[in-house]
Amino acid sequence: MKFKTLGFATTLAMALSGHAQAETILNVATAGSENMVEYVNQYLAPKFRELHPDVTVRVIGTGPGDAGSNAIMERLSAQKDAGASADIDVAVVHEKPVGKMVTDGLLAKYAASADTASLVSSDKAKNALGVDVDGYVMPMFQSQTAWAYHPALVSNPPKSYAELGDWVKENPGVFGYNGIRNGMSGVSFVNGWMYAFTGEADKMMKGPFDPSLVGSEKWNAALADLKEFNKNVTFTPGNAGTLDMLNRGEIGIGPVWVDMFYSWQADGRVNPEIKLMLPEPGMPGQPMHYVIPETSKQRDLAVDFIELATSPAVQAHGIVEQFNWYPGIDAKYLESELSADVWDKLFADITPEDLATKSLSFPLVGYFDAILTSYERDVE
Amino acid sequence: MTQASFWQNQAQAPKQTLAARIGDLAGGGVVGALAVGFCILLLAIAIFGPLTNLLLWTVAEQWYFPHTFPARYGFDFWARVFHPDGNAFVSLRYSLVIAVLTVIFCLSLAIPAGYALARLALPARALILLVFLVPQAFPNIPVHINIARVFYQLDLHGTVGAVVLVHTLHGMVYAVWIATAAFGAVDKTLEEAARDIGAGPIRTFFTITLPSAMPGIIASAIFVFLESLDEFTGTYFVGAPEITTLPMLMFRAGMEGNYQVASITALVLLVPSVLFMIVVERFLRADVLAAVGR
Amino acid sequence: MAQATAFYRTGLIMNASRFSGLLLVAPAVLFIAGLFVYPLSYSFIDAFTVAGDAGTRFSLANFVLAFELYGDDIVFTVLIVGLSAVLIASGAILIGGYITLGTNRFLVNAVRILYRWPLFIPFIVAAQCMRTFLAKNGLMNGVLIEMGMLTPLETTGFLDWRGIVITFVWKQLPFVALLVTGAMASLDRAGIEAARDLGAGRLRILWQIVVPQVMPTLIVALVLSIVTMMSVLSVPVMISGHSPTMMTVQMAFRVNAYHDYGTANALGVISYLITGLVAWIYLRRGVAGKGGEK
Repeated sequence: MKFKTLGFATTLAMALSGHAQAETILNVATAGSENMVEYVNQYLAPKFRELHPDVTVRVIGTGPGDAGSNAIMERLSAQKDAGASADIDVAVVHEKPVGKMVTDGLLAKYAASADTASLVSSDKAKNALGVDVDGYVMPMFQSQTAWAYHPALVSNPPKSYAELGDWVKENPGVFGYNGIRNGMSGVSFVNGWMYAFTGEADKMMKGPFDPSLVGSEKWNAALADLKEFNKNVTFTPGNAGTLDMLNRGEIGIGPVWVDMFYSWQADGRVNPEIKLMLPEPGMPGQPMHYVIPETSKQRDLAVDFIELATSPAVQAHGIVEQFNWYPGIDAKYLESELSADVWDKLFADITPEDLATKSLSFPLVGYFDAILTSYERDVE
Repeated sequence: MTQASFWQNQAQAPKQTLAARIGDLAGGGVVGALAVGFCILLLAIAIFGPLTNLLLWTVAEQWYFPHTFPARYGFDFWARVFHPDGNAFVSLRYSLVIAVLTVIFCLSLAIPAGYALARLALPARALILLVFLVPQAFPNIPVHINIARVFYQLDLHGTVGAVVLVHTLHGMVYAVWIATAAFGAVDKTLEEAARDIGAGPIRTFFTITLPSAMPGIIASAIFVFLESLDEFTGTYFVGAPEITTLPMLMFRAGMEGNYQVASITALVLLVPSVLFMIVVERFLRADVLAAVGR
Repeated sequence: MAQATAFYRTGLIMNASRFSGLLLVAPAVLFIAGLFVYPLSYSFIDAFTVAGDAGTRFSLANFVLAFELYGDDIVFTVLIVGLSAVLIASGAILIGGYITLGTNRFLVNAVRILYRWPLFIPFIVAAQCMRTFLAKNGLMNGVLIEMGMLTPLETTGFLDWRGIVITFVWKQLPFVALLVTGAMASLDRAGIEAARDLGAGRLRILWQIVVPQVMPTLIVALVLSIVTMMSVLSVPVMISGHSPTMMTVQMAFRVNAYHDYGTANALGVISYLITGLVAWIYLRRGVAGKGGEK
């Protein structure tokens, strides 16, 4: 463990921490929930140690949501401003900040040197909300938002955004979401709402950014409906808060992250009766990306690490089997690694056909921010 | 006007208010004791209810609607928190080392300052006391980001020293204010007596003043220790990823709704807090408490 | 003549003591200046400037946006903190008053032991305790239903502004009560006994004799509590996130969602002005209080 000089304090700390010997350390920073840290610590790190016995993987979780990714970006840009090299070698970040990280020159274009790059054909690895990130990212897993509902409380859930609007009037307070301030599942719900009721989903996802759509008649009408809709819903404190209130039976249906839902279910923390569904016309999802900072001092080790993490075996047994997350690399490369049971469990509530037609992207950054601002101004 | 004479003046024309009458009714006799006892019971429930909830969560393996209490109890989550590859032990050690160093550094600044503020004539004394309140008063996130930028330039970022500096910043208000009150409460005649029999000012300070103020200083050390133990945002911005502390573990677990892990971490953090809560009055005498921040 | 010499000597001592006093306070003050005021100045610059094509320039645009979008939240924050402070002050006076004036020794000791349990519990742990306790189908309502005191249809959740206030009061009341109780314990008992002999009720003694004398301590404790509540992020985030909410949530949101430090810092400056107003009250009291003493 490397400490910089600070006299007495450092000496004492070193004596107490007992890590004074020199060793190679690969620093991995991951945004997202604590189970991402556990995944790297308890699953990936031991496997990496088999390949590189002299390297210690050190993991830091920077917190859930875009805030966690922004923290990594803050850190890298502060180090860049100070002219220091990055102290993060591999980072796992969300889709939205990755574009800015690439345009700010914080990331290395490494994918070509990873053997597993050919296993990824998804568009999301090439373009992040309108920014060209081809070569800078490798997806760790695909994440998706959906509605979770409790069949005991909601026997016949609405199947689409259009139905939901009338449904909440008959069942006030049964639908719950977390607004836009407390996690991305609520933001995703609002984005889905705008896709559904402006009818401009394609334009908002693929661009180019057209400022005249913002504040147009249909834009404002969708927001006015949302304001009306909000009168009949329950607000939850955060992504976890929605699942939590579903768990306690305080709401009957609400938007959640599929990966979070399955992680909770694997822990026994969510009521096994709760089910998932993807409403018409669809809801956004996003990948978590592996990136390498431009100034990392361990570029080769970092690429080795990502190669391991995106290999079919690790994607199959770590990402799909252990966590029930959708794989980052193309699914066809996993089939030989997985049993049919595991495969079916992953697609029990939401079928591959659902995913193919109703898994959308988040809108381009310009629309994304405009939707948040409009929500703050006109809905709240 | 002394209090007694103040009261006698008032008593010339006794005006029994309604509140006073109710107070007397409730204050006397068995009915009063029962009423007060009932209020205390409510207080106990209000205080221990949420804590019981926390304790239940540490051993709840399954707890969801429609169960009022956990459906299954167990220690699975404890095993996960204290997994050999987990962060708990490392974080605990960092938390303790940082808290001890923060106390040492903070007191080395606060003892001289507290002595001066209590004993020596200072211009703008109230203003100086206020200066120490400032770091507590301003929303910290933007400031922590800027401190981090400065630390990167000094190559201090991510060290124990950096975190100690930031924790000292937030502990300062307790350290200085309580130390000032503690020195202020030391009996001046003792110091004068020591000076009269020929002790120099420095010797007087170390043999008379400091020992007399020691309980208050220890109390301020307790406050600083706990403040450091609980600090989160500063640690994150100037310490991560090299330094992880227990509050960082707990914050992440709490924000993502992993109540079991958050509650177990919280319970570990609670141990020193409760211990200090029990002994704090031994170190904080009433007259010192009365003088804090004045 | 002798008087003049004495006066002259006192003056010299005063000057020497003033100099050494400043010397002793200097390290602590410089520490705050270097590690807090300097990074804070960047926040002010961020708040009052916008980046344009022609470089950064002075602008009030951030404040305009802050008031336009978050005016409600600013009012909400002031109301929440104000209400919490009033409840905390009343609770602290009642607890302190009962400990000081109570006659049933068993009950007094029960209160003394009870009230300070949450004293050192971190905010984040307190929020964690509360959010599953106060929820509509949380532990509190669950137990009330089990006891037959509520039916499932009558339950309400407190995870909104009420939850924030409850958590603040639960967490901060012990701290203020500790200081106030200390101040009350160091009062001259003679006045109280005299009043009691004259037949005054306990509430009247508390209100007319005890409270006025501990007012300075109460204000100091409240100032510390108010500035702490103003800068806490975890409680509003974890208890209730919907608009209107507290300013700290909006600050974090501006940074996290838009990467907008300008508006976040503008909100910080507004929050700082509010706490500055509170601190000014403290300062005025400090100046008035010191006049007679030194």
